[in-house]
Amino acid sequence: MLSPERRTSMAERRPSFANFSGNSNHIDTLMVPHLAGIEDPLPETTPEKVDVLIAGTGLVESVLAAALAWQGSNVLHVDSNDYYGDSAATLTVDQIKNWVNRIHNSKNESEPYKNAKLYISSSNIGPDCKYASRDFGIDLSPKILFAKSDLLSILVKSRVHQYLEFQSLSTFHTYENDSFEKLTNTKQDIFTDQNLTLMTKRNLMKFLKFVLNWEKMPEIWQPYADKSITDFLFNKFKLEKPQVFELVFSIGLCSNMDTKVPLALNRIRRYLVSYDVYGPFPVLYSKYGGAGEVSQGFCRSAAVAGATYKLNEKLYSYNPTTQVATFTDGSKVTVTEKIIMSPTQAPEGNKHVPEQKYEVNRMVCLVEKDCKEWFSEDESAAVVVFPPGSLKSGNKHVVQTLIMGSGSECCPQGTSIWYLSTTESGVRAEMDLDAALEALEISIIRESSEEITNDNDIVQISDDGRPIINSVRLGQSFKEYVPRESVQHLMKLSYTQLTSTPPFDVVNPALFDNDELNNRANSVNKFIPNASDNGIIYTAMPSSEISYDEVVTAAKVLYEKIVGSDDDFFDVDFEDDDNDAMPTGASVNGVINYENAIEDDEEDIQMGEDDSNEFVGEMEI
Amino acid sequence: MSNPITSIKLVLLGEAAVGKSSIVLRFVSNDFSENKEPTIGAAFLTQRVNINDHTVKFEIWDTAGQERFASLAPMYYRNAQAALVVYDVTKPQSFIKARHWVKELHEQASKNIIIALVGNKIDILEDNENERKVAREEAEKLAEEEGLLFFETSAKTGTNISEVFLGIGEKIPLKGLEDEHNNNGLNVTEDQRINLANTANASENASACSC
Repeated sequence: MLSPERRTSMAERRPSFANFSGNSNHIDTLMVPHLAGIEDPLPETTPEKVDVLIAGTGLVESVLAAALAWQGSNVLHVDSNDYYGDSAATLTVDQIKNWVNRIHNSKNESEPYKNAKLYISSSNIGPDCKYASRDFGIDLSPKILFAKSDLLSILVKSRVHQYLEFQSLSTFHTYENDSFEKLTNTKQDIFTDQNLTLMTKRNLMKFLKFVLNWEKMPEIWQPYADKSITDFLFNKFKLEKPQVFELVFSIGLCSNMDTKVPLALNRIRRYLVSYDVYGPFPVLYSKYGGAGEVSQGFCRSAAVAGATYKLNEKLYSYNPTTQVATFTDGSKVTVTEKIIMSPTQAPEGNKHVPEQKYEVNRMVCLVEKDCKEWFSEDESAAVVVFPPGSLKSGNKHVVQTLIMGSGSECCPQGTSIWYLSTTESGVRAEMDLDAALEALEISIIRESSEEITNDNDIVQISDDGRPIINSVRLGQSFKEYVPRESVQHLMKLSYTQLTSTPPFDVVNPALFDNDELNNRANSVNKFIPNASDNGIIYTAMPSSEISYDEVVTAAKVLYEKIVGSDDDFFDVDFEDDDNDAMPTGASVNGVINYENAIEDDEEDIQMGEDDSNEFVGEMEI
Repeated sequence: MSNPITSIKLVLLGEAAVGKSSIVLRFVSNDFSENKEPTIGAAFLTQRVNINDHTVKFEIWDTAGQERFASLAPMYYRNAQAALVVYDVTKPQSFIKARHWVKELHEQASKNIIIALVGNKIDILEDNENERKVAREEAEKLAEEEGLLFFETSAKTGTNISEVFLGIGEKIPLKGLEDEHNNNGLNVTEDQRINLANTANASENASACSC
């Protein structure tokens, strides 16, 4: 930051605050949100001078814009697209068409998307067809939100959650031996699961207790710190393959067998502590499109705090000496502090876009099946994980699938959207995605077929006479079942997205070190003559991470670069508005209470100690 | 207390400086001259109105300036049950823009959205009727063609402001009545929605379950 003085925040600039500080005759009305500025209509031209220019309305950029605007920075936020969201956008079918065309015609050497292939069933989607283009909202980066996560805290704190509608997602399927096993993720499930032996149940409970406070027990995990999580679970906790795979790939949502122990333990805990925060489910998603909606919400919040928005605006070049940024339409703005830009928005002649060496391969299918068989009652989404080695293709990496039904309002009744992704690259990635798609198709046809409910082998009867219908019925007995119908694809899209962030990791702060121009004496190398983007800080493209976890981390690092410290990141003291007071239960301070994640048993389990059978007995529900 | 409450999302549209925010502020504070400070950080302004035995809670979304460079997000229109399309009776250009917004709403917003066309700043006409540049008849014609409510208002004097919102409130299907007619679809959606600001219930349930 050029000026060492901290800017006054929005809250401090409120008239009442000014009065309070005895400065009543000078009220900077321009700084008060627009509703207050009734005598000061906003200018019709973009500002001539701003503190920060942000290009790209993706998630990280939007969260950053809102944080800066509420902190008091003067922000101009632009996007070269005619829609919000950029790499996180939620698009209609027609917009997807244009997006694919744009990628094919891109002259940007650092274009972060490639290999885009699109099929649209033109007899089904279009004018005078059964479905309209805008009946669908397709996410370029589908995301789920853990109920205990930093983004959720920020959503509540910033009140952006009031712009959004969230729904629950409780079903995580693990694909194994040609069938979907529904996740055994609650204590109750573990006790009632008849497929688990007592020993397994006990070992599983031991692990679940350990993982909630794993950092405090280094004696258990330290010897395995450099080992893989699968190794750790097999050898230290004596768990069996199905449980290990569930823990690592469905609960932990890890990308492969080799995920290191500490990282994996954090990911497993993330799921467990999120359970029962809002109800019996660990994650949520926003209706009408995930990441695209969330970024729109933060952009709106930034606008309320005074940021200026302009779509269809692309940077042509930036001159760090004069601090003037020029757009392709000829307009100019002086940027006194920083330019933050998504690689998708890089001007022609750019030389500073960080190397994007990791691939995320994605496939999106619009399918004419409601897929309610995969959802819990009253829910409209599910996650299906294909662990390594579970597919015909002999996949080495996980294929993660997010299924969205019509209740998410992202697609019409009777249809669903399947999002598949893998961190595998090249031809292997295509083979894995195709194999996963085929497995999904076969499963949904089996499950939605009428005859199946008549088969006595499939519907199990519980002790109290209730039929238990679960995914086990997809198993062996249907291996020979030949599907008679096929799944109608309304649209099929596949593409490769490049990113500088390793799979399932968060962004590395060193990525943002392209701003040494403020300090040019030390870093002459950084200045490349004739580059159009000297002095610009690039954000990271989304990683393959299916949760929002990387977003706040990245936005905070950038915020600190601009403001000097992240102390007041969304430190906004909002007045109470209507009855919507701040919640007391949410972890808004970042202090996470793990207590109610898994209800405590009376006795503490000593690791390595031989527990008596009594323990198992006490676990009765 | 026992009144059923119906929440209505209402969005504002119109050219800059026609008085969109002033209309809302007048309605919310019911006082134009006293510079009532809006709630800092409010996602939207809210105001409750009693209509017969019902309470209607307006959630009023301001454009926050995002309309200036044609950069309103789809989120803005989404699920809006009502919209005010505002123009300035002394500025013909603003009426042309109003036509544009009505068209936009018909394309983007939900089908049964209630739209009120509002010609603001009629206080200027009191001194000099020659200032009028948009004929009342012309606006009435548009309202009739497009099925809009129509009002001429002054946010400055308060003329007709509450009538605009009461007029919308009366046209909105009220929640209690919907329940009686067993309108399931809507209710289910409401139930599935999770309020992120409310974790208390879930935690209590969790601790009560001592399994």
